[in-house]
Amino acid sequence: MLAPFRARSALRLAADPGLGIDVIALGLACCAVEVDAAVAAGLLRPEEAGDDPARVRILVVAGTVTTPLAPVLEAAVHQGPVPDAVLAFGACASTGGPYWDSPTVVNGADLVVAVDEYVPGCPPRPEALCRAVAELASRVAAP
Amino acid sequence: MSPIDVVDVPDPGQWTSTLAGSADDACELLTAIDHGAELEILVVLRGREGLRMLRTRVPAKDPCLDSAVAVLPAVAWHEREVAEMFGVTFAGHPDPRPLLLREHVEAPPLRRSTPLPERIARPWPGARDAGARRRPTPPPGVRNSWQGRDVDEGAP
Amino acid sequence: MTTSPRRGVLRLIPSACTSCMICAQECPAWCITIDAHTEQVSEPGARRPRSVSVLDAFSIDFGLCMYCGICVDVCPFDALEWSPEDDHAAERRDALVHDVDRLAAH
Repeated sequence: MLAPFRARSALRLAADPGLGIDVIALGLACCAVEVDAAVAAGLLRPEEAGDDPARVRILVVAGTVTTPLAPVLEAAVHQGPVPDAVLAFGACASTGGPYWDSPTVVNGADLVVAVDEYVPGCPPRPEALCRAVAELASRVAAP
Repeated sequence: MSPIDVVDVPDPGQWTSTLAGSADDACELLTAIDHGAELEILVVLRGREGLRMLRTRVPAKDPCLDSAVAVLPAVAWHEREVAEMFGVTFAGHPDPRPLLLREHVEAPPLRRSTPLPERIARPWPGARDAGARRRPTPPPGVRNSWQGRDVDEGAP
Repeated sequence: MTTSPRRGVLRLIPSACTSCMICAQECPAWCITIDAHTEQVSEPGARRPRSVSVLDAFSIDFGLCMYCGICVDVCPFDALEWSPEDDHAAERRDALVHDVDRLAAH
């Protein structure tokens, strides 16, 4: 029985004066280090997660989706405040990556939840994350 | 990089009694290596003097080894993983449930003899041929392989 | 061109590729797919035609690629190299597969 998922901290794009994006990062594996690197470089600012509906909520799946974690990923998207979009960060989250042949790996977050953007890389650079998040958010915000 | 002392335990029956002397060391890991006819089970310990590896071998057919949990409690999850991934039975393990595999698998996935289903379902892109490749004829009885990998006969 | 230390994405030089398939065979993730055929090329003065490999398709699936660089290292003709470009996010999963024209333009 999974407890309801609550985002305790969100990351905010440093360079988004008009856009208002909240980034919820699910750090599952090594790609999470690049999210941390984005924070360390000042590209993302950690903040308390809010429920402001005016801001675009992007859920970033950063890392390999293993079979025990697949239900956790699903709960993260469907329980609690629903994200406006889901971004698969890195090869593993996009397709299973180099572990596509493993029996304990789900070949892509899109086999568990709907994914709106895929960022290739192993791992992708932090700048690639922020670029993709900004582009996805403007696509979501546009009517 | 710190050097590692390797201690061979030739008789797997002496596995737990040999490990008993290292009960105060921190257990880094327990894993297995598939050598075809035999499986090598190894433990890496960190003691005051540095790293030490103890290893033993069991036959690949019905591999069985005494569980070291009573001596080194930290190997509990490692033994569960080796059990499900290599098919090793650890006699006396207090909790022999699968650790990572949620579904039943036909054969232990990390054994060299077990083909991964994904690698069978997906054709190897390296098997395609431009057509002009002159492949050496293998001697009689040798499996038709290129660099040790099966290739499709007459691939386009 | 190859002085940048950044390994953003792989670039193919199609004129250097002889479709020897070595990169596709050595890739650990099986992410390179090559299709080629041979043609007979007659040359004046030669006693018989020469076999030439012609590249039909070359694609790399960057959804699977782990950027190890083994393909760059093993290519005997230096047809693969690193490009610093790293802006290849895609809306759809299949857009992560880059064909020969896209690979040549990186």
